[in-house]
Amino acid sequence: MSVAQHQSGATWDLLARVAAGSGEGEEPVILRELLAFSLAGDRYAVPVERVREIVRMRQLTPVPRVPAEILGVISLRGEIVQVMDLRMRLGVEVSDSSRTSRIMVLHGDEGAVTGLLVDTVSEVLRVPEEAFRPAAAGEAEFVTDLCEHDGHFVSILSVERVLNVGS
Amino acid sequence: MASGGKGRADSKAQQEFVSEAEDILERMRDDLSAVAEATQSGDETDPDVVNRLFRSAHSLKGLSGMFGFQAMSDLAHHLEDLLDGLRMGRVQLSAAGIALFDESMGVIAAVLADPGSETVTASAEREIHAIIERIEAWNRDPTADPDAGQGGSQLPDSLLRALTEYEEHRLRESQRRGKGIYVVDVDFEIASFEEGLGEISAAIKEVGEIISTLPSPGDTPDSHIRFSLLTATQLSRADLATRLDLPEASIAVGDPPREPSEGPGSSTAESEPGEIEAPATEHATHEQTTLKSISDTVRVDIKKLDELMNLVGELSIQKGAIRRLAHKLGIDPATARAGAELEKMHRSLERKLQELQAGVLEVRMVPLRQVFDKLSRVVRRLRLDLQKEVELEIHGADTELDKLIVEELVDPLMHIVRNAFDHAIEPAGERERAGKAASGRIRIEALQRGNDVVIAVSDDGRGIDARAVLERARQRGLVPADAELTTKEALDLVFLPGLSTREAVTETSGRGVGMDVVRSNIAALGGMVDIESRTGEGTTITIILPITLAIIQALIVGVGDHRFAIPLNSVRETLLVDLSEVQRSEGRELLNLRGEPLSLRHLSEEFRLSSRNRDGKQYVVVLGMGDARMGLIVDRLEGQQDTVIKPIQGPIREVRGIAGATELGEQGAVLVLDVAALVDDLGRRGDA
Repeated sequence: MSVAQHQSGATWDLLARVAAGSGEGEEPVILRELLAFSLAGDRYAVPVERVREIVRMRQLTPVPRVPAEILGVISLRGEIVQVMDLRMRLGVEVSDSSRTSRIMVLHGDEGAVTGLLVDTVSEVLRVPEEAFRPAAAGEAEFVTDLCEHDGHFVSILSVERVLNVGS
Repeated sequence: MASGGKGRADSKAQQEFVSEAEDILERMRDDLSAVAEATQSGDETDPDVVNRLFRSAHSLKGLSGMFGFQAMSDLAHHLEDLLDGLRMGRVQLSAAGIALFDESMGVIAAVLADPGSETVTASAEREIHAIIERIEAWNRDPTADPDAGQGGSQLPDSLLRALTEYEEHRLRESQRRGKGIYVVDVDFEIASFEEGLGEISAAIKEVGEIISTLPSPGDTPDSHIRFSLLTATQLSRADLATRLDLPEASIAVGDPPREPSEGPGSSTAESEPGEIEAPATEHATHEQTTLKSISDTVRVDIKKLDELMNLVGELSIQKGAIRRLAHKLGIDPATARAGAELEKMHRSLERKLQELQAGVLEVRMVPLRQVFDKLSRVVRRLRLDLQKEVELEIHGADTELDKLIVEELVDPLMHIVRNAFDHAIEPAGERERAGKAASGRIRIEALQRGNDVVIAVSDDGRGIDARAVLERARQRGLVPADAELTTKEALDLVFLPGLSTREAVTETSGRGVGMDVVRSNIAALGGMVDIESRTGEGTTITIILPITLAIIQALIVGVGDHRFAIPLNSVRETLLVDLSEVQRSEGRELLNLRGEPLSLRHLSEEFRLSSRNRDGKQYVVVLGMGDARMGLIVDRLEGQQDTVIKPIQGPIREVRGIAGATELGEQGAVLVLDVAALVDDLGRRGDA
């Protein structure tokens, strides 16, 4: 996969070992697939299995009496789905949505889905679990791990924490 | 043929089966007693009643077959046959026949009483088989005493059990035609059995019919295989043995052949040995009629209908796109013609879509009879259990409602009826002292009113003492001690959770068991409950429900840039008022609506929306939930629309005042107001 060829540093080493098979009797390496996207220029990702689909911005109906980060609801082939502005949720700079803005539709609890508005959805990353670095405890509210990619860190979000708006 | 638990559905489905089967049985018993009376007095039996009996047996057959109660299905099948004979005038039902029929009902009732336990089922199945045999015997010769004819068929049970329904039918048919039934046992070497079997089969077919070819176990050597050929022929055993070149001992007699004229059921023309075509064609027509009547109905998972409904919704969005395109084309003179064409197509598409939507909706509709029949059963049972004479009157059982609503309606209605029976209706002595008929009366009436269905349950019992209810409510601190309530308001207190307990009001008011549950169940269906009562005269509980949950009529209103849908069943009226007409009391806005104060709320304030229209005339939507009224001020009324209410998915589970959302074509999602919550909030604010 072309994405893998762009991997660098520690990640690349690990991948190389995966590609070489179980050569020196090492433990098998588990790869995790992440969907990467950008928010205000920074890179984030969520586990790809949590993503049901990615859709363009569409007619949004605001909902009263909800926290500001819930932008409203969209109709998705008959389903009515709330859309959350992830920038607002994470407290990063909020700009107007652009042509590259997308709504990532994520699986939540009990079969319900939620849309997250992000700036640009870039690619699917395949990352060995070993390349995950836990986020600084106590500092990050939504980011569980970091992983390096192209010399930059990608922040991996906990979907549960992001979607837990009520409490 | 019978297999105990095979294919039997889960217990809920089983319950449903039992209740439906009980209904059918009940009807059959009623009809049977009518037939019995006619027979006894020597009158002609009413063909309508016999036809109804026939149809009931047919439904019972289909129903029990569907739920895996094969033995019962067989019995029903036999009853159906018998009734068919009666219906066609082929047989006359004698007292003995009626007794046999009665007994069959008893056996079925016993099975229904305990369909789950396998041991009971096994013995019940034996009983069923015994009675089937007697019906068969009687069917062959209705003049004979059915009890005497026990041994009519000497075919071994193991063989009978192995027959398919078709084979069974052929067997019965052959018996009816007075043919001899034999079991021809033949032994073959395994190596060459196909050839041998082919030969003997051909030989039998020359003189009769092979109903079934069954490999039979027994003491055959390993290299041999034995078959039992169930054969129907006009020949005697000896003749058959000669024709087949077999020792007579290898042919067992099930039924000896009879003279063609003997049975009333046997048609005279067809009795030539070797004639195979005639019964086959007759069988074919018979089979066709049964298949036809069974395929009249189809069971469909309601979820599939929901999916269809969604598809219709998506189609109407596509339709919107076509309309926009037509519009675009229409503006440019170069394409105006094509635009007009497209516009025309769009309109016909719209009409067809509406028909499709109506069709899907109609499929979801079921008559309330289903629920009402269950209620009559409950009343009958209560009558026995409580030794109380209460009559149940049912009107409007044909009123139709969405299947989902009907399902959810059973429990609340059961509750209400049970309450009326148990608590509201006084014992006979007390009723007579009060100058009422000794026997009480519960009346259930359903009718359609616009987009709603109204179901009223009234009793002529002791009524509810509003003062006693109020007293209890005060004791429990549910209302302030100094609160002054109207009779109506006091009665409404029975819907409060704290009051709806047995000890609270049963003795004094004769009601109150779980009325809060009833109200919340009905509210969950988008309906409302109302209560009216006069002490000493009785109580009426009225339930108002939307006809369907899938589609509701909604009023679309606008505030600023926003649009909302309000379910039309909670809209009483809409008014255009001048702001100068609005009065104030303690900061609350009021409107004088024909002498009654109507509290007003601005939807823009309620939801913190920017409203464009702050002066001049404004629209007031008068909302009603039960007796509560409220005026909602909006900027615009945008018309009525059929809408499908959908839940809102996402992290925020509940938004007070929003019941869901609906898709309105190109306008995207539109939120649907939760009128009950809005009206409730208003009341609460008023109390504070």
